[in-house]
Amino acid sequence: MLKWIKKGIIFNPEQDPNRPAWRWNYAQGQNVLIYDDFIRVYFCSREIPNEKGQTVSRVSYVDLDKNNLMNRLKISDNAVLELGKTGTFDEFGTYPFSVMRVGSLIYGYFGGVTRCESVPFNASIGCAISKDNGETFQKLGPGPVLTHSLDEPFVVCSPKIRKFGDQWVLYYSAGIKWVKNNDNSGAEICYKLKMALSEDGVNWTKLNKNLLPDKLGELESQACGDVIYKNGKYHMFYCYRQNTDFRHNKDNSYRIGYAYSFDFKEWIRNDDYVGITVSSDDHDWDSEMVAYPNVFEMNNKIYMLYLGNEVGKHGFGLAELEGELL
Amino acid sequence: MKWKKLGMLFDGNKYGFYYTKSPQAIVFDEYVRIYFSTCQKDNNKLISDVAYVDYSRDLKKVLRISNGQVIERGALGCYDEHGIFPFSPMRFEDKIYGYISGWTRRTSVSVDTGIGLALSNDGGNTFTRLGNGPVLTASLQEPFLIIDGYVKKIMTDFHIWYIYGVEWQLFNGGAEPDRVYKIGHATSKDGINWIKEGKQIIEDKLENEAQALPCVIEFDNRYHMFFCYRYANDFKNNHNRSYRIGYAYSDDLLNWVRDDDNAGITVSKDGWDSEMICYPNVFELDNSIYMLYNGNCFGKDGFGLAKLER
Repeated sequence: MLKWIKKGIIFNPEQDPNRPAWRWNYAQGQNVLIYDDFIRVYFCSREIPNEKGQTVSRVSYVDLDKNNLMNRLKISDNAVLELGKTGTFDEFGTYPFSVMRVGSLIYGYFGGVTRCESVPFNASIGCAISKDNGETFQKLGPGPVLTHSLDEPFVVCSPKIRKFGDQWVLYYSAGIKWVKNNDNSGAEICYKLKMALSEDGVNWTKLNKNLLPDKLGELESQACGDVIYKNGKYHMFYCYRQNTDFRHNKDNSYRIGYAYSFDFKEWIRNDDYVGITVSSDDHDWDSEMVAYPNVFEMNNKIYMLYLGNEVGKHGFGLAELEGELL
Repeated sequence: MKWKKLGMLFDGNKYGFYYTKSPQAIVFDEYVRIYFSTCQKDNNKLISDVAYVDYSRDLKKVLRISNGQVIERGALGCYDEHGIFPFSPMRFEDKIYGYISGWTRRTSVSVDTGIGLALSNDGGNTFTRLGNGPVLTASLQEPFLIIDGYVKKIMTDFHIWYIYGVEWQLFNGGAEPDRVYKIGHATSKDGINWIKEGKQIIEDKLENEAQALPCVIEFDNRYHMFFCYRYANDFKNNHNRSYRIGYAYSDDLLNWVRDDDNAGITVSKDGWDSEMICYPNVFELDNSIYMLYNGNCFGKDGFGLAKLER
């Protein structure tokens, strides 16, 4: 089993009393980009909710000291990505945001959020490129690069972009069912981890299969397939939860899982190996859930950024792997 | 082109239909089946379902009318949850492919749409979806409102002509955004997986023109497209801005020449198709070419028939 040393919350936008209204709370959907002198964490924050309780998620970043990740160097003044225009897939939010360097460019893949009448939202994945080293991103077009299809009818979300050799790989989640709550108070989405392949990052071919077997029954939700290649294996960290009563019932909420692969397509699920779970102290920030991992290597160490209670409402935390990622 | 109007063919009111929109024909040995979308009121909105009427091959006698829904509405959250309009049948091998134009409601704009596929193994009486999602939907440069698919197999490829949205625009005096959409084209080897051509194939005639419901037929060694077009806003009550039927032709399925003056059919001076004329469906039957179409109020009262006079 892996062993992670938890370091606590390292960034919480609420701590800044002068923060802009669009970055009111939450730091979720976080992903790291490593620079020569610092690391940048892109994350998604929510604006103050409207009278209906609806909010909008935007991407910004925080730069951290490579030698001390608790030391914050800079927070972006503005969102790095604009919302979509009226009627587009990303009119009401950009979340999460996954980045990758390609030559002098940085490719960013984001979940675009729109609002619907019968269900609260729908989602598709868009692509944007930065030509200024990650300060701003420009969308390739007004529509998505990965969206709904015959067997993935809605909520195509949670992108994680990777490139293995010349092969572009997008891990993502796709909705399979909206399940109505027993008390008729709405519906919850059930989604599964999926992947698609591409030669150019723009035109994608879906594999049209679930990457993982279900552990919590057929309505288990799986998201955030975060893959790192190390020691001859592809390691995937992700999160999973029950379909209902997961917001307030700790037992039904997100946990971080683990799977491995030798070819980045066929995965063997082994959650017992993951070595990180909720804190047993009810007062801790991650006592109810651990979710949305992003694992990266820096200075010969393996780190994980992850979310705790209320899926990142109070920021994201850090853990450091003790020993090798085998 | 010159069309002879034969009047209203199907008066939906007589059969209890509220709206009979976008009639689309498929010819059987003994009869002609015409699918259409009919509406129900759903709070302050309309919701469309698919029905059909079978006519004798002389198009004079109603033989039967479908019972209930030909195809169910889509599941919760799906692209076709809030109705199907239009529904376009295509015969291939021993099946009928039913291309679903599905509607789902949004909050900032009224709807989004996508094109799905259902197959019939019983001669078009019932259809089963291939999946809960669409086969043609939004993409990088066609961000929303993919709808109005019309499919034909020509030599080795399936072709779909459809429309895609380019903008939701809030015009002066408008209460909510209006949509601007254009005719596009994609090809496929199986009728399921499509490659979009990625461009508007019919040039604009009006400023902020909305182009809809293309259908394509081959005769006299040429491909002929009929469609309808209107201004993007103020088109419901202002009859000068509402739908007219347009026409284009092509010799290679790639390049289309718009030639509306040659459409050969327009609004009547008075009567059921005097304010607008829309949703053309052109088909061949016993060596004649016919057009089904809707008139005033987007087909509220019925659909009409015209015959091509060569």
